[in-house]
Amino acid sequence: MRKLVDLFSKNKKAQLLLFIVYVAVSSLSLILAQQSVVAFLLLLFSILLLYFLKLSTKAKWIIGLVIVAVLIPFSASQGQAYESYMDVATLVGIYCAMALGLNIVVGFAGLLDLGFIAFFAVGAYTYGIFASAQASKFLHFGHFPLSGESFWIFILIGGIVAAIFGILLGIPVLRVKGDYLAIVTLGFGEIIRIIFNNLDKPVNITNGSMGIASIAPPKIFGIVIANASQFYYVALAIFLVVVYIVTRLEHSKIGRAWKAIRDNEIAGQAMGIPLVKTKLIAFAIGASFSGMMGVVFAAKQTYIDATSFTLLESTTILVMVLLGGMGSVPGVILGAAVVTILNLQVLTEVSNWLNQLNTNGVISIPDALSPAKMQRFIFGLLLILFALYRPKGLIPAKNQKYDVNKLKKSTTKSVFVEPQVSNDKKASGGSEI
Amino acid sequence: MNILEVTGLTKKFGGLYANTNINMNIEKNSITAVIGPNGAGKTTFFNMITAVYKPTSGDILLNGKSLVGLKPHQVTKFGIARTFQNIRLFHDLTVLDNVLVGMHHHLKSSWVGALFQMPRTRHAEENAKKEAYRLLEYVGLAELLNESAGNLSYGAQRRLEIARAIAAKPKVLLLDEPAAGMNPKETKKLTDLIHDMRTKLDITIVLIEHDMKLVMEISDFIYVLDHGEEIASGKPDDIRNNPRVIEAYLGKGAVANG
Amino acid sequence: MLAHIIQTLPQVIVDGLTLGVVYAVVAIGYTMVYGILELINFAHGEIFMSGAFIGTTVLLILSSVGFLSSVPAILAFIIIIVIASIATGFLGMGIERVAYRPLRNAPKLITLITAIGVSFLLQDIVRFIAELKTGNYIVSAPSLFNEKIHLKTSSILPQFGDALFKSSFLVVLIVAIIMLIVLDFFVNRTKWGMAMRAVAQDRETASLMSINVNKVISVTFFVGSALGGATGVLFMVQYGSIDPYIGFILGIKAFTAAVLGGIGNIRGAMVGGLLIGLLEMFAAANLSTITHGAFGAEYKDIFAFAILIAVLIFKPEGLFGKAVVEKV
Repeated sequence: MRKLVDLFSKNKKAQLLLFIVYVAVSSLSLILAQQSVVAFLLLLFSILLLYFLKLSTKAKWIIGLVIVAVLIPFSASQGQAYESYMDVATLVGIYCAMALGLNIVVGFAGLLDLGFIAFFAVGAYTYGIFASAQASKFLHFGHFPLSGESFWIFILIGGIVAAIFGILLGIPVLRVKGDYLAIVTLGFGEIIRIIFNNLDKPVNITNGSMGIASIAPPKIFGIVIANASQFYYVALAIFLVVVYIVTRLEHSKIGRAWKAIRDNEIAGQAMGIPLVKTKLIAFAIGASFSGMMGVVFAAKQTYIDATSFTLLESTTILVMVLLGGMGSVPGVILGAAVVTILNLQVLTEVSNWLNQLNTNGVISIPDALSPAKMQRFIFGLLLILFALYRPKGLIPAKNQKYDVNKLKKSTTKSVFVEPQVSNDKKASGGSEI
Repeated sequence: MNILEVTGLTKKFGGLYANTNINMNIEKNSITAVIGPNGAGKTTFFNMITAVYKPTSGDILLNGKSLVGLKPHQVTKFGIARTFQNIRLFHDLTVLDNVLVGMHHHLKSSWVGALFQMPRTRHAEENAKKEAYRLLEYVGLAELLNESAGNLSYGAQRRLEIARAIAAKPKVLLLDEPAAGMNPKETKKLTDLIHDMRTKLDITIVLIEHDMKLVMEISDFIYVLDHGEEIASGKPDDIRNNPRVIEAYLGKGAVANG
Repeated sequence: MLAHIIQTLPQVIVDGLTLGVVYAVVAIGYTMVYGILELINFAHGEIFMSGAFIGTTVLLILSSVGFLSSVPAILAFIIIIVIASIATGFLGMGIERVAYRPLRNAPKLITLITAIGVSFLLQDIVRFIAELKTGNYIVSAPSLFNEKIHLKTSSILPQFGDALFKSSFLVVLIVAIIMLIVLDFFVNRTKWGMAMRAVAQDRETASLMSINVNKVISVTFFVGSALGGATGVLFMVQYGSIDPYIGFILGIKAFTAAVLGGIGNIRGAMVGGLLIGLLEMFAAANLSTITHGAFGAEYKDIFAFAILIAVLIFKPEGLFGKAVVEKV
């Protein structure tokens, strides 16, 4: 047995073969047994397996994209559950992008943001108001609702509006003390909810607790994207963009600065990092991600009200980040997928199953303990257990490794130290460094 | 020519004077030591220069320009870098990344540039990495470039702190007890490094140190603090024989007896 | 407009003081823990809530065995508040022991996350116990002090309206003030209080002075949580209806009170709590009048938050706090 494991951990071809068999079996079982949630989950699980294969990053991306963009939609499309599968997959994409945004704030910069959903709400309302008849209730110019084609621009606008909120909130707080941010964002999340829930007077901006209905779904080249199976590709595209942005930022100067002040604020400042500005950028970028996803959410649901933006939602996203691994991009994606599926599929399935047992009189579980109601309990427990026993999450963050040979091969002249003493010293000093 | 001038620098914490009326003139390209018993206010002095603390009164001039009222990161930009008595590395970052962070204020690499992979940014990043690697070679840590800083040995951590500080291209480098916890061999290497930085990198060095052998060997000039006050200053030989200094270190009886 | 404000002033003061003392005592819990560990104990709001539920449970048990009708209400009240505060005291101590102590040297972010986790866990545990026992997570407690008191403030100044309140108001006010005085004595005059202040100032030096730091932190959590739990009982007595989520917003407001008074400063927290209680009631009564109906009382929760932001901008060290110097 051990030999077999050894063989597989070393042998690339054997790994790949086994992986292909796994993917084929799971997608085939999904095609044949359309009702089987397990088969669907197994197929999704293949992405995680792929991550651990010994392949080049490029190959993994290509295989992964094929599975996600072609194989999953195709395998799921053979039956009636198609839309509901794609709905889950779409939400996984949206939540992954959200969690990656929060990961910038919490994982990279080490700032606890407990009101992340407030920015999501800001984005959702930004699109919701203008892409429905709501805007005409307080604006007396322009034609509303805007068409679904404006969705693509609103992704940006939503992000910018959310970032502005983030900056306005961040400036007073981040100037003072990092840990106040947690409680201020907690309060902000609640306040935004109250405001959106009541802002139907004196001017009807949000339609109060009635919410905003018939929001225009996105439209591209005249095609309205209304089904989950279509929306899935929108979510996927956005997800890919977000992954790109996050990895680029992580390995840039600002990414290093975030991690530096997370590790040691005082040393970071002493190395020339402007503390408030750097934190503010993290906070604002995180907020803008949340805002963008809010726009997507509003367009997908076509109806929003303040009840979708509670502390529970903010905490859910925090659980995703902590569970997966703070600061770890693959980890956070895994965390977001696991929590979303747990939330949408597993808890409801188990609740339904228990209900069935209840009605059949097999066992009797009081309604109070129904798993779908126990989110707070489950998430609270996950937060505590992971913080205590596995603070680095399921896939801990790894540092980028540098290739020594590349660094040694210096084609450029040293621009680093320029001694100001004399020319001959410059020559001898410069070459050594 | 003086690169760093300190006049009447005073720091009061509540009712306690941590530094009282300190005056220093530090010559360009010199090595200056600040010594004194524990609790003499040496680190407080460094903290005021690097703007971690705001002085109660007095002035700090770098090349004639006042640093008082600046933020810590602005002081770094003006040309002062430092290391810390209780090592403050970025533990979860790699050794090379630590050095790269040191280049923060002069590295031309905006996050927008990084996002769109602009050639200028990519070029700047690539060069920075090579420079960082050379700096690691310089302090003798090149092999450990991909190691997490937190995993390094004590002596290596101290050298990494120095590499990170000189990555900021300082004119003046403040070293807070660089030899603390080092064995004689490591101390010897450190001494050579400090000498080298002065001559080859043209950095003015100010250090706080308890290792008197190192201080006497390396310094051009020494200031002695005790209870927050400057009690003596001069060349190493003067300080060695100064009765007030001996008294401060060994207590009153020591002077009479020996 | 002014006439309306003046007319409602006596009632606003009565209601504001009631709410204010509740905030004040809860704020002390935040400030004590922050002073000693530099940790925002998010679970403190939930400890307050647990206190309210434990108090209600005891009250319901007492009334079901007929104890309530045989003794004066005040005696029953004392029994309830003592049991609830001891229970929440141990609860707070236990939370520190299990969830915070192992993380004392971990990054603060991790501890804050655990605190949020504990807070969620408590909310849900209380919810399903309440739901299992009563079928509903909103629980109303039989009231202990019901006499209506009519305060003729109009006789002092003709512009004033009269203030109306239940006798429970007096109980809440008096008990809270007693707690504040006792706590102030405890912190400033006793050996434990001194040890607590020493640990808050410098944990390491305190431990060198042979102070058992862990024990002091445990005691701090016990005292802070017991106060929080007792305040939960006061809340229950005053407002009658409780649910598992009352601790959340109240916690944020109490924390605001702590920041307003200068975090770490116990007397500051008392003053901050009173101020926020008064302001909130003032807003609830007059917001609609002042804005000519544009914004109603539903915005009163925003007040505490606006105060928090304003304090952070203009006086981050709070009304009575000192600017702290970080050790390097």
